[in-house]
Amino acid sequence: MSQSGQILPHGRVLRYELHERLTHWTAAFSYIYLLLTGLAFYTPWLFWIAIALGGGQISRMLHPWAGLIFFLAVMKMYSMWAAQMRTTETDKAWWGAVGHYARNEDDKMPPAGRYNAGQKLLFWGFFWCSLLLLLTGAVLWFPEFIPWNLRFLRYTAVVIHPAAALLTIGLFLIHIYMSVFAERGAFGSVIRGDVSVEFAKRYHPGWYKEIVGESSTPRK
Amino acid sequence: MTNGWVDIKNTDMMLIMGGNPAENHPCGFKWAIEAKRNRNAKIISVDPRFTRTSSVADLFCQIRAGSDIAFLGGVINYAIENNRIAKDYLVNFTNAAFVVKNDFKLPGDTDGVFSGFDAGKHTYDRASWNYAAAGGAANAGAPGAPAPLPEKVDYDLTLQNPNCVFQLLKKHYSRYTPEMVERITGIPKDQFLKAAEMYTSIRKDGDMKMAGTIIYAVGWTQHSFGTQIIRTAAMLQLLLGNVGRAGGGVNALRGHSNIQGATDMAGLFDTLPGYLKVPTPGDASFDAWMKRATPTSSKPAPWDSWNYYGNTPKFTVSLLKAMYGDAATKQNGWAFDYLPKVDRDYSWTHLWDDMYNGTVKGMLAFGMNGVAIGPDSNKNIDALKKAEWLVVGEIYPDETSEFWKSPRVIAQGDMKQIQTTVYRLPCAGFAEKDGSFTNSARWLLWKNAAVPMPGDCRLDHGIVAQIFLKVRDLYKKDGGKFPDPIMNLTWNYSDRLNPPLAEVLKEMNGKALADLEDPATKQQIKAGQQLPGFAWLKDDGTTSCGIWIYAGSFTEAGNQTARRDPSDPSGMGVHPGWGWSWPANRRVLYNRASCDVDGKPWDPSRRQVWWNETTQKWVGNDVPDFKADSHPKDHMGPFIMNPEGVGRIFAPLGAFADGPFPEHYEPIESPIVNPLHAGQSTNPMVTRFKDADDKFGTTKDGFNVVCTTFRLTEHYHYWTKNNPMNVQLVPEPFIEMAAEMADEMGIRGGEHVKVSSARGEYIAKAMVTKRIKSMMIDGKKTYQIGIPFHWGYRGIAEDEGKTARNLVNSLTHTAADPNAHTPEFKGFLVKVEKV
Amino acid sequence: MSQETLRIQKISGHAGTVAGEGTQREYTICKLIDTTTCIGCKACEVACMEWNDLPFGETIFGNTYQTMPETRWNYWNLILFNEHEREDGSLMWLMRKNQCMHCADPGCLAACPSDGAIVQYTNGIVDFQQANCIGCGYCITGCPFDIPKLNPQTKRVFKCTLCTDRVGEGLEPACIKSCPTGCLHFGSKDDMLDLAEKRAKQLRDHSNYPNAGVYDPKGVGGTSVVYVLHDAANPELYGGLPKDPHIPWSVKLWKGPLKWLGNVAMVGGLIGLFVHYLRFGPKDRDEEEMKAETKS
Repeated sequence: MSQSGQILPHGRVLRYELHERLTHWTAAFSYIYLLLTGLAFYTPWLFWIAIALGGGQISRMLHPWAGLIFFLAVMKMYSMWAAQMRTTETDKAWWGAVGHYARNEDDKMPPAGRYNAGQKLLFWGFFWCSLLLLLTGAVLWFPEFIPWNLRFLRYTAVVIHPAAALLTIGLFLIHIYMSVFAERGAFGSVIRGDVSVEFAKRYHPGWYKEIVGESSTPRK
Repeated sequence: MTNGWVDIKNTDMMLIMGGNPAENHPCGFKWAIEAKRNRNAKIISVDPRFTRTSSVADLFCQIRAGSDIAFLGGVINYAIENNRIAKDYLVNFTNAAFVVKNDFKLPGDTDGVFSGFDAGKHTYDRASWNYAAAGGAANAGAPGAPAPLPEKVDYDLTLQNPNCVFQLLKKHYSRYTPEMVERITGIPKDQFLKAAEMYTSIRKDGDMKMAGTIIYAVGWTQHSFGTQIIRTAAMLQLLLGNVGRAGGGVNALRGHSNIQGATDMAGLFDTLPGYLKVPTPGDASFDAWMKRATPTSSKPAPWDSWNYYGNTPKFTVSLLKAMYGDAATKQNGWAFDYLPKVDRDYSWTHLWDDMYNGTVKGMLAFGMNGVAIGPDSNKNIDALKKAEWLVVGEIYPDETSEFWKSPRVIAQGDMKQIQTTVYRLPCAGFAEKDGSFTNSARWLLWKNAAVPMPGDCRLDHGIVAQIFLKVRDLYKKDGGKFPDPIMNLTWNYSDRLNPPLAEVLKEMNGKALADLEDPATKQQIKAGQQLPGFAWLKDDGTTSCGIWIYAGSFTEAGNQTARRDPSDPSGMGVHPGWGWSWPANRRVLYNRASCDVDGKPWDPSRRQVWWNETTQKWVGNDVPDFKADSHPKDHMGPFIMNPEGVGRIFAPLGAFADGPFPEHYEPIESPIVNPLHAGQSTNPMVTRFKDADDKFGTTKDGFNVVCTTFRLTEHYHYWTKNNPMNVQLVPEPFIEMAAEMADEMGIRGGEHVKVSSARGEYIAKAMVTKRIKSMMIDGKKTYQIGIPFHWGYRGIAEDEGKTARNLVNSLTHTAADPNAHTPEFKGFLVKVEKV
Repeated sequence: MSQETLRIQKISGHAGTVAGEGTQREYTICKLIDTTTCIGCKACEVACMEWNDLPFGETIFGNTYQTMPETRWNYWNLILFNEHEREDGSLMWLMRKNQCMHCADPGCLAACPSDGAIVQYTNGIVDFQQANCIGCGYCITGCPFDIPKLNPQTKRVFKCTLCTDRVGEGLEPACIKSCPTGCLHFGSKDDMLDLAEKRAKQLRDHSNYPNAGVYDPKGVGGTSVVYVLHDAANPELYGGLPKDPHIPWSVKLWKGPLKWLGNVAMVGGLIGLFVHYLRFGPKDRDEEEMKAETKS
């Protein structure tokens, strides 16, 4: 039985267990490295980032390896969270009311579960994009082994890879914004693993109800 | 070459046959491309394979290897039938009008041989191969000796006399119809006609302005009738008036940088330097030798003939003075006794045969890889096994110096029985020594050593010098049967152990041994001075000259071969200040023939030499190859080296061993019987051996594929298999075969194929190509294959075990051309199997 | 070095302007390859190896005279041999010297992300600066001629330099110097095009090549290597010479619209989020404010 969702002392609720947090930060750090080096390769204006990170050659050498790590982390997330990320009727309603969410009128939102529909989009977005990035990245990793008559693979890869990356960047920006700026306490949840009861109640009322229903006794 | 490399740029039409210059002479081939680019010249490429040359040709004909005379004879027939001949040139500059003796018979009338053939002894009595004397006078000759050429020849300038050379020529080649050409060569009639039409188009309507050249190499020489193929080409060129002309001529492409020089310097056993005839046991004295060797003119009475070889005694005495100095005196016949008397054929195949039979005990092998380059490598290896000693001077360990560990010896397991002592001497490469190269165009070009010799390398001539000096010391010490030729040989070099090559060239050029004066010009030459040219040579012992044709190469003005003035005032590619060409720095031989009878150039836009009425002299952009003051009205013939003064369409008497006209004979190994005369299929005069190793295959034994060998641009003979760069360009041996043949045999490109002849076998990967096609030879579907010959059992690929370590020449046989003694490397029979 | 810099007119992966742009009056140089007089002797291959001191590599027999299937990172100049049967049954053995085409609009340079790894000089030479190469191989994708090759050990890309070191000294490229038949020419682009057109006309008028023509593909802005072909209508016969080469559309899309769209989206996104924060702030602001109010 998963430990997540247990009520902790001092009015806190366990949201992410250690291995979840580790997975998150593996993905996070590798993604940030991928983002920075990727941006360096993406536009001359940001090529200085590659220099700052040890030089173009090192960046080019490590980027695919970081990509592999990131992909594995995403796969781990999939194994951990995919079940909870399934779209529900509530999620549809949530999207219908997303304007309220943007205006911080959270009380007008349908009650979200452990993950709201936005977070699910983030999850699936990253999942599918990382698959695309892996496949196209493999082509870009070893372009010299793609024979001339299969060159369409390279041609496809050079567009799909940055396009998919751009999508993830969009998701990433919102993710950072939401977790660091908009929903205070969210950032702590992937550091310490727990959130306040208020946080749970406010942002994930469905989840909160679940926890309460499951166990009203604080753990020792 | 009658002409030269650069001169090819002046041509309008090129027949490239028996050679693949784009492959083997890419640098010289630039002039063919120049002609194409600047003159819209055409290239006709006739070859057993579609080659690199064919790739830039305007017309390609795939010919069966060894059927070249049929092709060329067919073109002669076409030219005569369609009146595409140079009539004035033919009448005045060739022996077309000469009348031949009545008893001369053509092979068409005598079952495939010329008159005088003794079928039992396989010899010719050539008495009938002669001109009829004017007025029916009998030819005067010594009693018992064959009659020489008549002094005054019967002739018919209308060319109508049925026994005149032209009518005989016409009759002889009338048998070479396009249909017959197709049967023999495998070239479809329409393609042959296209080629004949294209080549002879330069003489359309008798116009003499255009010039056509014939370019060939060892694809012609290496046949049992090779000399006669070249003869046919020369005759065709005379017929079309192309000899002596800029952009014309008969042009042999020599296969090595200095092979022309080697030939000039008596590369063959039957010549002395400068193509002087060797003495034979029949020559009782110097005078007797000279009488036999010096021709006398033979011509129509009103004409003139310079008969330049009438100067043979001058050239010969000067040569003997160069060799023996003061020991050569008038009294001792200029040391005539010192010279060996050549009693038989000592050519390449005979030398190896003699070693095979135990009479030759040892060999000094320099600058050649004998086992690999000679025909029938297995016989050569067997011969070396019997030798007592072998000295190899080379830059790499090669197949010859390692014959004792050849796959053949290993297979036979008799390495321990071989008693031959092998001395391997590291020698300098061409870039590590100075000296001159004589190129195909007869140009002598001096070179400097580019890099020092590595390690303990020696100069080839230094090794020879040291052996000679040692032998002389032994004679001095121990005496001997006949020490004089050794003891009296001149050896006046500043470094006796390594004679400086510039001094050798000076010696070859010759010098005055007494004060000389030209009676006409009063020009004087002091004793000891270098001679300006061979016109100064004397037969009284007052000049010395190592090789008369090189006289003028190293004069008082210095080493002429080292000149590097690129200017070409006439724009005709003469470059008179670039190096020096024999004879007399003349670039186009017989260039008098570039003018009509009156001394006016056939083509005013390509003026080479001409008669200057004002100065009463022959002048020009090139050095006139003619008596400078001979007025055209004297009608001196332009072919001054012939006693007739004219070009020989009919080659009389002993000029050629096997006939005065070339006749198509089948190669010794041929898929068909000669369609012209089944009774005499092959050359009746061919040289062949009957040793155990000399085996021949027939189609009955399953040898039904015609095989030829060739070279690649990427490799140089058997050397570059040791050089990683060349090996990278073409890493492995291969066998070129027709895609159709490969399909039938289930062979794909890159698979191993075994080629075997009656003598040996060769395994390499198949190169399956569209560049060779099947052909119909006398109604029989026949395949041809080609094998590049650059590999053996010593080299990078060989040492890495990437090849079958075999030699192509283990397939070839030793039967040779009776004139030049060249073996028949091209066009022999094999069978092909998938391995 | 400063001279070199002044001769550069395009730089890969470079933000800002290019120092050399407009500073030189150098004309575009050009190599003319007349395939109709090429005899495939490979002198150019050897000269290229010799001048550039390229190491020897291993090759294997491939049922052809061609040295290797394609150029290598350390083998920049390769003659391609192709057998072609014409409609009249006659055979053509086409030989084409293959190397970098030095496009006016180079796909490699467009695709390259690394600042200064690929430069184009004002004389038209497109040159790889391996010191700046990061080994991403995007140039391989950008090139429509399959020319750049990666050294698997060092992960740097190499190709023909058009002997920029020789050309800079006023010499012709090594391949040109070595060509024995004169099928290779070198000079200004205008002169070479003039020569090429004349040769093509000669082939049309005097040889059996009605389709002879010049290959100077406009899709890549023209090239500093132009060919005379017997059959300009079918360049593919010459070992896959593309009929209408251009920078792959995906590379153009990626380096053009996609990049700008992405840039705009990213910057726009950041601005949008910032504005959102200014306007709405954190979601739990009211509670915090309440807390603060309670405290005070």
